[in-house]
Amino acid sequence: MTDQALRTEGLTKAFGGVVALDGAGVAFRHGQVNALIGPNGSGKTTFFNCVTGMIRADSGRTVYRGRDITRATPHAVAHAGIGRTFQLCRVFPRMSALDNVLAAVRPGGVLGRLRGARGRAEVDRARGWLTRLGIEHLVDVEARNMSWGQQKLLELAGVLMSDPETVLLDEPAGGVNPALLDRIGGLVRELNAEGRTFVIVEHNMDLVMSISDHIVVFDRGRPIAEGPPSVIRSDERVLGAYLGV
Amino acid sequence: MPSASDPSSTTTIRRPTVTVARAGRVVLLVVLVAAVVSFPSLAPNPYILSAGILVLNYALLSTSWNFVGGFTGYISLGHGALAGLGAYGTGLLVTRAGLPSFLALGVAALVVAALAVPIGYAALRVRGASFVIVSIALVLVLLLVFQSWASFTGGSRGLTVPRPFPDLLRPEHHRVFWFLFAGLLALALLVWWLIDRSRFGLGLKAIREDEDKAESLGIPTFAYKLVVFVVSAGFTAAAGGLYALWFGDLDPVFQFSILTGSYLVLMALLGGVRTLFGPLLGALVVGTALEYFKVEYGGTPLHLVATGLLLALVVLFMPDGVLPAVAAMLDRFRPAQQSIREVTAAELREQRESGVRAETELAATRPGTPSTRERA
Ligand SMILES: Nc1ncnc2c1ncn2[C@@H]1O[C@H](COP(=O)(O)OP(=O)(O)O)[C@@H](O)[C@H]1O
Ligand SMILES: [Mg+2]
Repeated sequence: MTDQALRTEGLTKAFGGVVALDGAGVAFRHGQVNALIGPNGSGKTTFFNCVTGMIRADSGRTVYRGRDITRATPHAVAHAGIGRTFQLCRVFPRMSALDNVLAAVRPGGVLGRLRGARGRAEVDRARGWLTRLGIEHLVDVEARNMSWGQQKLLELAGVLMSDPETVLLDEPAGGVNPALLDRIGGLVRELNAEGRTFVIVEHNMDLVMSISDHIVVFDRGRPIAEGPPSVIRSDERVLGAYLGV
Repeated sequence: MPSASDPSSTTTIRRPTVTVARAGRVVLLVVLVAAVVSFPSLAPNPYILSAGILVLNYALLSTSWNFVGGFTGYISLGHGALAGLGAYGTGLLVTRAGLPSFLALGVAALVVAALAVPIGYAALRVRGASFVIVSIALVLVLLLVFQSWASFTGGSRGLTVPRPFPDLLRPEHHRVFWFLFAGLLALALLVWWLIDRSRFGLGLKAIREDEDKAESLGIPTFAYKLVVFVVSAGFTAAAGGLYALWFGDLDPVFQFSILTGSYLVLMALLGGVRTLFGPLLGALVVGTALEYFKVEYGGTPLHLVATGLLLALVVLFMPDGVLPAVAAMLDRFRPAQQSIREVTAAELREQRESGVRAETELAATRPGTPSTRERA
């Protein structure tokens, strides 16, 4: 029995007439690599946005590790232990890689916030993440001068610096080359082995099938199937929704 | 994990430029302090000294403005009104409540800082152009209040504030206030510098870059904006109060004017909002120009045209301000310096590795153009 990391009940969100989430009830497992797949426009990104408090759901509930976070602000969700990346990769363009990562440090209390941003321990930790993601040579480079792939790695470094228990990745392989894709896949497995839970939205099926423990399939704003890769691969509804068979 | 050699090799590369920059900064600071200390004795007449005080006042105001504008990127045109509140607050506390002048100034600054909490609470919810408009509304509302509530504020006839040192002759009066303004400016610069290097400051800059992203990383963006707005309002109001005690005569039309707010923005933008001394430099240029135009062309609106032109030029050609533009220009000379300098083995290795890696990265990640990265 694995316990639940993130659970939603009847999550619904409509944009004008477009129903992006339609009573979605999903449960992701703590300590595992979960994947959330589904055709374009099936509501995966909207699901992330609602869960992280960036947009407010019309109705429904979100529970994280037994705590109701339905109405929590995004920074409160982050403090609860959920970090996320964005489909369109968001970094601070006019900040160096180091500052991008340091910005994710959680300062303790009022006094902690007044301390210097470049404390030795933090800088070492930030460099550690940049090194682990293979971009330590860009430490002083402004994010806007980096390639797309480098920016994606930098975004991930920042999120990891905030030390989230659960990481939501929105299309980590989107627009990156095969070598980088392998690196990201390997890193996810490594970080998972170190105790981090993942929920990954991804279109690259090879990647999804190779790194996930548990897969949830979305169609039109709600889950239509879930299970381990072996089951999902041969599920007819999935094939129907996904491949238009 | 960072290896022991890794961070040190990068430091080796940076050290020479860092020392030069630091030395440059120290020299600049010494020159600045010397100029401030000697100006009252060098000024040929009290008129020049009082014009200097006006410029210093602008420097103080635009530095105070830059707590919000520079760190968070929220452009407020309403700071003139916060200064006006500080000025009237100080004046009224002296004339109506009989408080000693400088106690009145302190209390007024604190009261305006407290008022900034509800003002900021309302205004900081909107971003971009909407925030600019809300800040303009603040000025207009306060102008109406202070003009029409004549029994209390003196209305459009204005308010006369008694001088704190009635025994001083005019030149001495100016001299004392020159140093008071300089002292308050130094304090504002010190606080800005402290915030700039703090975690709080990095959070504010993250807000300027991408507010939603900052929030998703766990930065309580609204609280951060509110706190820095309150600090900014406090300094702005203190500047206004000092002006009231110095000038002794308040006119609501001048105190609550969008023009004042716009000057502050122009000065800060001109000098550079991301730099500590940017607003000060901008105030030096624009403030001096304003005073000059006032003398040469008196009541004509020509100085408005000149100001508008200057603003347009800066926004078009130096959107980051003059200081950063100059820095960028100096940067072009840097490679030459580097090739003369001796390079250590560690640096060579670092440069070679990073060069190779950057190239493979670049070649490898090129397919990720904006068209392919979005939903297929
Ligand atoms: N901010 C928004 N405003 C309006 N419509 C949106 C917004 N975000 C998503 N949608 C719509 O909601 C639906 C689901 O989109 P999204 O969650 O991005 O899907 P996915 O990530 O699965 O591709 C789409 O029809 C999309 O156009
Ligand atoms: Mg999406």
